[in-house]
Amino acid sequence: MWHGLNAWLRRMWTALLPGRVERDIEREMSFHLAERADELRAAGLSEAEAERRARARFGNPTLQAERTRDVHVVRWLDTFVRDVRYAVRSLLRRPGFTATVVLTLALAIGANAAVFSALDAVLLRPLPFPAADRLVSVSEVSDRTTTTGIPPARLEDWRQLNAAFEAIHGYYVEDVSETSGDLPERVRRAVVSPGFLEVWGIGPVRGRGFTEAEHRFGGPGAVIISERYWRRRFGGAPDILERTVRLGTASVPIIGVMAADFRFPDRDVDLWAPVHVDAPYAQTRESPWYTVVGRMKPGVTPVRARADLAAVQAQLGERYPDTDRDIGIDVVPLKETAVGAVGQSLWLLFGAVTVLLLIACTNITALLLSRGAHRREELAVRQSLGVSRAAVAVQLLTETGVLALAGGVLGVGIAAAASGALRAAGVDLPRFDEVAVGGRVLLYTLASVVAVTLLCGFLPALRMAGGLAALRGGAARAQVSARNPLQWLLVGAQVALSITLLAGAGLLVRSLHELSRVEPGFDAKGVLTFRVSGSWGETANYAAIVQRIDATIDALAALPGVEAAATSGWDVPGVPTQWHTTFEVVEASTDARPIVAEGRAVSAEYFRTMRIPVLAGESCRRAPPPGGSEPPAYEMMVNHAFVERYLSDRPSPIGLHLREVDGPIPASRIVGVVGDARERGLDQEPGPTVYWCMSAPNPMPYFVVHARGDLGALAPSVRRLMKEIEPLRSVYEVAPLEERIGDAFAENRLRMLLLALFATTALSLACVGLYGTLSYAISVRRREVGLRLALGAPRRGIVAHFLARVAWVVAPACVLGIVLSFASSRLLSGMLYGVSPSDPTTLLGVVALVLAVATLAVLVPVTRAALLEPTKVLRDP
Amino acid sequence: MAPQKNDVLYGTLAMLVLKTLAVNGPMHGYAITNHIQRVSADLLRVEEGSLYPALHRMEQRGWLRSEWGMTEKNREARFYSLTRLGRKQLVLEEENWARLTEGVARVLGYA
Repeated sequence: MWHGLNAWLRRMWTALLPGRVERDIEREMSFHLAERADELRAAGLSEAEAERRARARFGNPTLQAERTRDVHVVRWLDTFVRDVRYAVRSLLRRPGFTATVVLTLALAIGANAAVFSALDAVLLRPLPFPAADRLVSVSEVSDRTTTTGIPPARLEDWRQLNAAFEAIHGYYVEDVSETSGDLPERVRRAVVSPGFLEVWGIGPVRGRGFTEAEHRFGGPGAVIISERYWRRRFGGAPDILERTVRLGTASVPIIGVMAADFRFPDRDVDLWAPVHVDAPYAQTRESPWYTVVGRMKPGVTPVRARADLAAVQAQLGERYPDTDRDIGIDVVPLKETAVGAVGQSLWLLFGAVTVLLLIACTNITALLLSRGAHRREELAVRQSLGVSRAAVAVQLLTETGVLALAGGVLGVGIAAAASGALRAAGVDLPRFDEVAVGGRVLLYTLASVVAVTLLCGFLPALRMAGGLAALRGGAARAQVSARNPLQWLLVGAQVALSITLLAGAGLLVRSLHELSRVEPGFDAKGVLTFRVSGSWGETANYAAIVQRIDATIDALAALPGVEAAATSGWDVPGVPTQWHTTFEVVEASTDARPIVAEGRAVSAEYFRTMRIPVLAGESCRRAPPPGGSEPPAYEMMVNHAFVERYLSDRPSPIGLHLREVDGPIPASRIVGVVGDARERGLDQEPGPTVYWCMSAPNPMPYFVVHARGDLGALAPSVRRLMKEIEPLRSVYEVAPLEERIGDAFAENRLRMLLLALFATTALSLACVGLYGTLSYAISVRRREVGLRLALGAPRRGIVAHFLARVAWVVAPACVLGIVLSFASSRLLSGMLYGVSPSDPTTLLGVVALVLAVATLAVLVPVTRAALLEPTKVLRDP
Repeated sequence: MAPQKNDVLYGTLAMLVLKTLAVNGPMHGYAITNHIQRVSADLLRVEEGSLYPALHRMEQRGWLRSEWGMTEKNREARFYSLTRLGRKQLVLEEENWARLTEGVARVLGYA
């Protein structure tokens, strides 16, 4: 039989690749003719006559060649078509069975294809730039701080001294107001250093890139706008290159439009503007400015690029020891930074749906096996009529193939719908807008169909075609399939795999639950957050910014219904960020250990607004607006964790001074201690934190407003107020703080929901498998059970017998499932909060759930067996 | 065409090819034709055109395997050899043939 399958495969090969066979046949026949002609020539015939005779004797070579090939092709195609027809007919005769299998497969294949479409769009496909694998993000690593912005003078040095990059550029993003319309509109502007278009390798769809002159201080103004902004603001006007935008007080000509799919630095950028490289303020080696992206030369690896830049930076360290020493370089493929942590989630989900597909396959294998047992007679008849075992096996495989194909076609429909849902649900996740069912997904689905056919079809085909020596009677039927260790093995595998999936989902559910129970240490309820547009250009007059922000805070606090208003400089509390800074205590000896803490800049009203309690000392006061361009000395607050960690050996932290190492802000005095708050993310333990009481660390800090009553009503009154006091600025990112914190964990929730969905599907499949296999085992043994009952066996015994049978399968499966989930818990690392990957409560809960559901699934058939009426069963034919 | 020669009886070609290969080891199609003709003292002749379809069919059934090689005259030819399955088949066919001829002979003798 092996041989038969082998021959069948070879014939299929021939039918698919006819060219090779034809060439072989032709070569063989021309050899024959040449030999014959030689022989005839040796017998004395002329060249031409010898060839003619040789041909005549051989017959029509073309016809022969065709006949020979036909042996390969026609027969194969013929049987194939016949097999398919027969398969469709016999499947249609059992619509219930067919529908079950096709639907199961459609769900499993569809889910698989949908997750693959996301995986493909986000991780596998290159970023939408030419030679995107050469794009890397470049950052510096230093013990002193974790801020990653590159100062402009340093980037300029890198650009001139490196040997590894074709082009390297930096950008920063800010929100500014466009004021040519009736109302100022917030626009998102990316300010880019020279080399912008060279790095991305893409030109504008209209217009041109920036010239050198436009990158000079005092040079002509220019912006490139995004396609989206072109449509939104200018209705796609064709004369766009003659238009201008009004930013603040200056009108700037539009020189280009970028294509719609150009979404860097992010998809919300409306316009790109050139940085002025020779401006006096751009000569700093200290202020963090740029996010840097480089395009490596062909053939250069990130490792080499990193070594090259590190060497350059070592030189700079010697030349500028104050600012540039001890700075390491990190070079990471841009795709990794662009995709971020979503990659891990996607691989996890992909693993989960693959397991789901495996479960579906085992389930269908078991179904096919039981069905095959019913068909034994039909198959035996066919065999005794002379159909070879191989042909029967191929026939069965074809049936599975037809089922898998139908499942695949339906599955593609499901995948299309699901990937639409994924796109909508993952709207804030990187590259999710590219998720779609395309050619690659279709190919993947086709591959799944083939894999499913072989996985599900092989065992039943071998089993049934193999064991059919002769026609046997009904008694033999029971003998053949009563025990069926193979089927029970498959059911066990399903149970084990679903336990693994459920354990993963359970851990994620528990994580989210723990997260929701966490005490954040601040009160997010009733807090509205928003920003007001500003430009980094305003930093030339720092005092004006402070005055403006303070005035805005006061006006907000005076709104009816508002309890308190404040700013939180760099980010809103509760949304994950990292902003570590190194401090030193001015009063301490110089060799004191370094103090690393979270640095936050907040206005004096912040603690009252966020309801973070002051534990010692007093809340800081608003600093008077600074006089010159130098920032003034601020007051400072520290949190409880900071005191515990660094100042516990001192009688009181109040009155000490802290200075940021290598930072621009002068030493500041600690005036109070506040409670710990989970400001850098609800899933993060509150670490040592230092608060500078500065209302405006930058021109566009976040405003936080605590109100009684409805936040929906507050938003419009905030907008009205801002229009009154700052008519040239736009208000944006208006959202309740709770919503923002929720959004920050949107990915966690999506991941948890999907995994839970897959796991419950897996569990229900496993239960169907359990139910089906047991019902079948019982139906086969009906007579035996009846006989036992008639001979006086207690019904309890019958029940116990079948339950023991199930327990023998389910118990080891549970153990195996737990082992598997331990083994795969590494996949979940970094996704869990407040629960360990081997959390016994979760695992026991999952096992209990599986046992409960499994018991329900087996109870029905077992009860039916116990209630059999012996007289009736035994009298049945 | 030579009418006095018997074309190989339909159905026995396979057996003759198997036997030829069993005795002589790997051979190409041309040599098989010649061998059958020579050993049968020209009583049997293989219809050359039908030999190759038959060889391919037998290969697909797994009785033969084939590979390309060079003849002594340095021509490329396809050499066929017997598989284990082919040997079994030969035994079967020989038995069948013996039964058939015996049966036919008896019928003829009886008549």
